[in-house]
Amino acid sequence: MMRLFIIEHTQNAYYSLKSTKMRTILTTLGVAIGVASITAILSLGSGITQVVSRQVQALGGNIAVVRPGTPANDEKNAANPAIEQTYTLSTLSEQDLTDIESIDGVDSAAPIMITSGSIKSSSATVQSDPILATTPALLDIAKLPIRDGQFIDSVTNKDTAVLGTQLSVDLFGTDQSIGQTFKLRGQSFTVIGILKSIHDPINFNNVDFDNTAIISLESGKSFHQGIAQIQQIDVRAKDAKDLPKIMKEVDARITKNHLGEKDFSTLAGDEIARPTSRFFTNLINIMTIIAGISLLVGGIGIMNIMLVGVAERTREIGLRKSVGASNSNIVWQFLVESLIISILGGIFGYIGGYALAFVISSFLTFTPAFTWEIAAAAFGTSLGVGILFGIYPALRAARKDPIEALRHYH
Amino acid sequence: MSKAKLTPVIELRGLTKQYGVGDAQHNALNGIDLTIEKGEFITIMGPSGCGKTTLLNILGLLDHSNDGEYFLDGTSVERFSGARHARIRSQQIGIVFQHFNLINRLNVIENVALPLTYNGMFRTRRLKQASAVLKNFHLSEREYYMPWQLSGGQMQRVAIARALVNNPSIILADEPTGNLDSKSSHVIMEELSDIHKRGNTIIMVTHNPDLTTYASRVIHMLDGEIASDTKTPIELEKSNKKIPLGMHHKETKAAKKPTKKRKTTKAKKK
Repeated sequence: MMRLFIIEHTQNAYYSLKSTKMRTILTTLGVAIGVASITAILSLGSGITQVVSRQVQALGGNIAVVRPGTPANDEKNAANPAIEQTYTLSTLSEQDLTDIESIDGVDSAAPIMITSGSIKSSSATVQSDPILATTPALLDIAKLPIRDGQFIDSVTNKDTAVLGTQLSVDLFGTDQSIGQTFKLRGQSFTVIGILKSIHDPINFNNVDFDNTAIISLESGKSFHQGIAQIQQIDVRAKDAKDLPKIMKEVDARITKNHLGEKDFSTLAGDEIARPTSRFFTNLINIMTIIAGISLLVGGIGIMNIMLVGVAERTREIGLRKSVGASNSNIVWQFLVESLIISILGGIFGYIGGYALAFVISSFLTFTPAFTWEIAAAAFGTSLGVGILFGIYPALRAARKDPIEALRHYH
Repeated sequence: MSKAKLTPVIELRGLTKQYGVGDAQHNALNGIDLTIEKGEFITIMGPSGCGKTTLLNILGLLDHSNDGEYFLDGTSVERFSGARHARIRSQQIGIVFQHFNLINRLNVIENVALPLTYNGMFRTRRLKQASAVLKNFHLSEREYYMPWQLSGGQMQRVAIARALVNNPSIILADEPTGNLDSKSSHVIMEELSDIHKRGNTIIMVTHNPDLTTYASRVIHMLDGEIASDTKTPIELEKSNKKIPLGMHHKETKAAKKPTKKRKTTKAKKK
C-alpha cells in the first residue's frame, strides 16, 4: 500500500508538474540557488578547516605542539587566533624547549617566536609581514621547502635570514635575493636562503611562510631584551606511537618548570587546528545563515506556486474527493509535488554549489571539501523546505469543501 | 436483482439542512424521510432551490446534514470519520455531474481509472479495468482522447463510466443530461437505464419531466420537503404484491402521467 502510495503520488505529481513546466523549472531554480549557496559556503568552509588537520596528518601524525594558555573556549578569542597568539604574553620559555628536546623519544623540537616590525631593504619597506625566530629544527618539522640557498643552521651567522618568495619580491623586486641585506630594528641581516612558494597561509604554525622572514632564535631574542617570547613549540616524535606518551611527559616537565601551574596546552592532531577551525566555523556559520535566507526565498517561491496550483485545481480537488479521495490523499498529492520541486532543487543546487565552489577555489589556496555532512545538509534543507512550504498549500487543498470546489469556475 | 431486501440501501429520517445564519437562515432540507430500496431508479424533481441537489450531496456524503439521520445499508453515517466517508464514496457510491467534471490534463482512460486510485490499485490494473468499462460504453477507440476532443454526450458517457468503474451499488446523478441536447440525453438515459437493469440503485436529479419515464419512482420536492413520491407503473408491475418497506407511496394522477409519456416516446421511436 505504501509503495503504491508513493508511486501513485509521484506519477501524479510528475504529470501535473510537467503540465506547468516553466513554472516548475523556475521554482526549482529558486530552491537550487539557495541550496547552491549553502553548499558552496559549507564546502569551501570545511575545505579550509580541513587544510590544517590534513597538514598535520601529512607531517606523519607524529607532531605535537605546545601552546601557551589553556585551550581557549572563548568564542571572542576564537574569532582572531592571530591576536591571541601575538599579544598574549607567552609563558613558554627556552628552558621548556630544552627540556622537551631531552625527552626520550623526541626527535626534535622547534620554537615559533613571531615578532613584528618593519623590514627595510635599500629600495623598499615592508611593514606588516611577520618575522619568525626559530631554530634549524623547524625545517624538518614543518617540512619547509628551500628553493635557493640554505636554511638557518647552527653554523650560520646570527645575522642571517631566510625569506619567503613573496617577501623577497616585495623587498628586492626579485626572488633571487641571496646575499642581499635588509634591516630589522636597525640590525642588518643577510639573506642566505629563499623558501619555495607554498601558497599555504593556513597551517599549524599559523605562519604564512611565503611572506615571512625567518631569523634565528638568538636574533629574535635580541629584540626582546634577550628573552625568548615563544608562542609555540613544535615537537616531533621519532615514532608516532610514542606521541601520547611524549605529550604526557611534556606536560609533566613543563608543569614542573612553571612551578606546578598548567598554563599551557599540549595538542596533537585535530586539536592543533582547533583555534583556526573554530574561527572559520564561526565565519561559515554566519555565511550559511545568510545563504539560508536565499533558500527561504526559494521556499516562499514553492509555497506561492503551490497555492496557485491549488487554486487552479480547485475543481479537480472537488472531483477527486467526490470519487473517493480522502483529505490525506489530497494533502499527499500536493505535498509530493512540492517535495519533488524542492528535492530536484536540492540536487541541482548541490551540484551547482560544488561547481561554484570549485570556480571560487581556483582563486584561493584551498579546494572545497566533499563530506557526507554537506550532502546531508543540502538534501535535508531542501527536504525541509519542501515540507515546510508545501504543507500549508496542501492542507488548504485538503480542507476544500468538495461541493464548493466543484462549483468553482462553472 | 431489483428485489427489495430487508435493509433498505438508504434510509433518511428527519434529515434537515440549514444554510445561512440569523435572518438569512433557511432550511434547504426540512425533515426529509425517505427509504430507498436496492435496485430502485429514482428521479428527484422540483423547482430550483427546492433542495434536490443538497439532498443528493448529502446522499453522496459530500455534505453533512444539520439534523436527522442517514442510514446507509442500515448504518448511520454521521458517526463515520472523514476518511471512512471517503472510502464509502470510493467503493459504494458513483457520482455523475451535470458538468461532467473530467480532468482536462488526463486522457479518457485515466479519467475513468481515477476512482480506482483511491482503492489502492496499481496503474496497469486500473487502466485495464477502466478499459473494460469503456468498452461497455462503446468508447474503446476514444480511450486516449483528451476530454476536450469529445462531444458533450461522449464526455458524459465517460463520466458515467468513471462513476461505474468501482462497481458502486449506488449511482447518484445530478442533472446528468442538463448540458446535453435531446439526442445525447436519450443515449445517456438509455445507459443509466441499462445500469439500473443490472441491479444498481440510481438516484437522479433532473428538471426534465420527460426523463421520469425511465424511473421506477419519482419524487417531487418543494421547499425542502417531499411533495409527492410516486411509483411508476413499471415498478408497480414488477413488485406486484410486495410493497417495499418504508414509505407508503401515494397513487396520484402524477403516476399516470409518465405512463402516457412512455407510450408516446415509444410511439415516436416506432
